[in-house]
This record gives sequence, structure tokens and C-alpha cells, in this order.
Amino acid sequence: MPQFARINRRSLAYRVLGGVALLAVVLAGGVAAAKPRDLNISLDRPSDRGVFRVRIQSQVAPIPLSRVHPWTVHLTDQAGLPVSGAVIAIDGGMPEHHHGLPTAPRAASAATPGDYLISGMKFSMTGWWVLNLSIKAPDGRTDRITFNMVL
Amino acid sequence: MGATLATALALVAAAEPTWSAADLKTLRGLWIGALKPPPPDPSNKVADNAKAADLGRALFSDTGLSANGQVSCASCHQPGHAFTDALPTGHGVGTGNRRTMPIAPAVYSPWQFWDGRADSLWAQALGPVENPAEHGFSRTEVARVLAARYSDAYERLFGPLPDLADRNRFPLRAAPGGDPAAKAAWEGMSDADQILINRVYANFGKAVAAYERTLKIRPSRFDAYLAGVFGAPDPHARLSPDELAGLRLFIGKGQCANCHNGPLLSNHGFANTGVPAHPDLPRDLGRAAGVRAAVADPFNCKGVYSDAPAGCEELEFAVIDNPGQVRAYKVPSLRGVGQRAPYMHAGQFSSLEQVVDHYSRAPRAPDGASEIKPLRLSADERRQIVAFLRTLDEQPAPSPHG
Repeated sequence: MPQFARINRRSLAYRVLGGVALLAVVLAGGVAAAKPRDLNISLDRPSDRGVFRVRIQSQVAPIPLSRVHPWTVHLTDQAGLPVSGAVIAIDGGMPEHHHGLPTAPRAASAATPGDYLISGMKFSMTGWWVLNLSIKAPDGRTDRITFNMVL
Repeated sequence: MGATLATALALVAAAEPTWSAADLKTLRGLWIGALKPPPPDPSNKVADNAKAADLGRALFSDTGLSANGQVSCASCHQPGHAFTDALPTGHGVGTGNRRTMPIAPAVYSPWQFWDGRADSLWAQALGPVENPAEHGFSRTEVARVLAARYSDAYERLFGPLPDLADRNRFPLRAAPGGDPAAKAAWEGMSDADQILINRVYANFGKAVAAYERTLKIRPSRFDAYLAGVFGAPDPHARLSPDELAGLRLFIGKGQCANCHNGPLLSNHGFANTGVPAHPDLPRDLGRAAGVRAAVADPFNCKGVYSDAPAGCEELEFAVIDNPGQVRAYKVPSLRGVGQRAPYMHAGQFSSLEQVVDHYSRAPRAPDGASEIKPLRLSADERRQIVAFLRTLDEQPAPSPHG
């Protein structure tokens, strides 16, 4: 669990702030990332290196505040074929407020090809949230993606 | 006369603020009209049982449930004072480390105590009873009080109490975390007898929780003002220009509503806001320690004393071992906040002015990292936010005679 948290904290820093040096500043309480003007809030996008296409969706609409609720993930490859059996690690938080997610959600494979269920999602306040997915397919392909949401 | 009327109308128009669509969305979320009934507690099968609430009400104010016979839940959670006291930290048998919290908003929270070390109201109710600074009591003593004075009400709800006559099996004073003698007495009990006592102790907490769930949040002048904003036809309250300016700061520049949102003005989360450490208290890790205690608590939602068949999602997906949890404390509800100084988890600030000044300056946290940034509010802005906060005072309950 500690290692999981460490890996994901790093991934958050790389993605949102652009470097480990900045992570140290953030942990010292010095700098918060300001919300970019051109924030991409699409929830259906290619992953960072284009290995996968990832679509996520809250199973409760509109996205509720302060309530645990499930999300789904649909994962395909570059050819548009569903990718099943991947391991998906989830992290996130609020870059403007120095904090992570209020819960530790977990993803598990669903019954249909390329589908996953994320359990344990919760957002505790309005504002800009990021959700990072680290994806490892059974054939070894890996990639990451950061989704933005403004609640 | 016509000119006077025109001037008066112009003044009224000037005093009526214009709220943007985004503001109105935020304001609607803060309105007590958005408050739903308390969420169900599947871990407590008597959570909404009126007989359990009656028993819980009696237990809540029973000073017989304390080491010196003088302390009840109501000693610190005083019904006449919004279920708090006016002290920096609670006074029971001794002096505690934390500010007494109001109860009615807690009914809505998934985590109890300032550090969230209990995951239900009933698990929370068990903590103070055995805390040496609070009731200083033990669970075998609780079982004996129930058997002596509440057995009918208890047994109708929970079934037969164990026969406690054998003092070798059930020592007078036994608790797993008590003083050395009580601890030794507990460790001398058989596993089966410990479970019998734990079950009675859990049921005691469940009855108290059932009573706590009947406590209501009363509306404030702010709610009456919002009723008018949202078109209620009845006469509604006005806010002064300072109060309105404070409200605008609260949902805007002051960023208060980032965390103090929803109809209780709390997101029920935990945050390190750089509150100074109390100089006379030991190092306090806040939520970082609280979540570990909740996960390890035998009285949590997933434990054998819980009635929840499944679920327990808050516990199941609790964040553990996150550096952001160090010195993070619960975001309290702000309803009635002006009526319950002092503030923060150990009563570090004696006035709302000091609280708002703290958030404006946003000093470095004594441990961990503060989430907040300096707001650099002017003296006028700080005064206006305080003026707004006072509109959240709970209005008195209507008298039975109308």
C-alpha cells in the first residue's frame, strides 16, 4: 500500500506539474498548480503515448459530491479492439489544493470485453480534480492518462 | 413623497445583490432546503428505532456511566449549548485533548471525531466512555448499569443481557484500553465473555446513536434569506450589506465554500489548514493516525459487532498512509458556528475574527503541509466574512405555544 501511494503520487506530479523537483516544492507546502485555461476535460481520450484509448464515466449523474459511487472504464487499443485483463491503478486529487482523492478507489475487470468497474470514487468538494490511471495490459503494454474534471 | 419613495426603492435595489448563475448554484447547495434526511446506517439495526432513541436519550444524560458519577455525554455535549461546551478542550473526569464537537451535523458524516477515528455514530459513542479524561468508565461497568437500570428497554431491543453475577467471569471494572488493573481484568476474561460484553457495549453505542440521529439542524437567518432568493412567497430575511459582502467572499475570494459546502457547510472531509499546535498537548497527527485507528477498531462497520451485511464503502476505500493526512482534521459544519467559540480541534482560537485572520494569513503548518494559501483579506473583508458567519446562527426552536 505505501509503495502504491508513492508510485501514484509521483505520477500525479509528473503529469500535472511536470517534474519531481516540483513535487518536492509541493510537499513542502510552497506551490499549488493553477488550473490551465485550456484544460482538456474530455473523458474519452487516447492515453499519453497513444497506446490505449480510455473512456471513463460516472455511474451516477450528475457526479455526486461527498458520496462514494462507482465509475466505469472502457479500454481499447490503437486498432479499437477492447483490452481485457489489464491492471489499472488509480490516483488523483486537486492540484490547486495539495491534496489527493478522499478515498482510495480500485478498478476491477467487468464481465464484458474492455470494461472495468472503478469502486470507491468520491469527490469532497467543487473545483478542478485530476484522475490518473496507470494501465498495464496483459501483453505488457503500459501507458498512463490523466483526466480532468471540474465539479 | 414620490421622491422619497423613489429614493427608498433605489436604496432597496442597491442593497439587493445580483447573483450569477454559478453563484446561485453554489447558494442552492448551501441552503438548508438541500438537506436530505440523514443517510441510513446499515451497521446499526436500531439506528432509526424510536424505542432505541428513547433509551439512548436516557443514557446520554446518565452520569452513572462515569468513574466519579458526575459525567455524562451531556456534560460536554450540552443540549442547551448546541451540544457543545464553551471550552477549548472537553472536561470530563479530566481534561481532554480535543474541542467538543456538535452532534446534529455528525449524523451526516461518514467519519466521527476530529480525526475520523470512528466510522459510525455508535462506534464514536464508545470512545469517550472509556477515555480516562472523559467518562473514565469501563465496558463491564456499562453492562452492569444497563442490567441494573435499563434491562427492560435494553432486552426489548437487543435480547437478553448476559448474567453478570459471576464476578470472576465478569470483573466489575474491565476494559482493554483502561488503567492497568482494568486492562489486566479484561485480559483475564475468556474470549467468549469478552465478546458478550463487547456486544452489550456496542448495543449501548447503537442506542445512543439512535438518539443522536433524532437531533435536528435548525434553520438560520441565512436560510431565510436564501428562501427569498429562490422565490419563496413568504416574508423572508434580509442580510445587511456587510453580511452580503461576506457571503460573496465566502463563496468567492475567501474560498471558504471549497470545503465548507453543502447544506451543512462541510464536505465531511479532512484538511490540514496549518492550525497551530496546542502548546500543552502532545504531538497530534490528526487524520493520519485517526484512519489507522478506524481501520483497526473492532467496532467498525466491517467488524463482528456491526449489523451491516456488506457495503462499508468509506472504510473499504479509506485512504491510508498519505502524507496529506498529517495534521488534517475534520472540516466542521459551520451551522451555528458563531454560537460555539472557541474554535479548531483544540480550541486554539477564541473568536471567529481569529479564525478568519488565520485563513487570511495561511501560516505554515506545524507538521505536515497546509492546503491553504494566503488570501490577504483586508480588515473590512475579514469583518464582512465574520458578519456573514453570524447569519448561520441556529434560530431558536419554536415554542410549543406557538
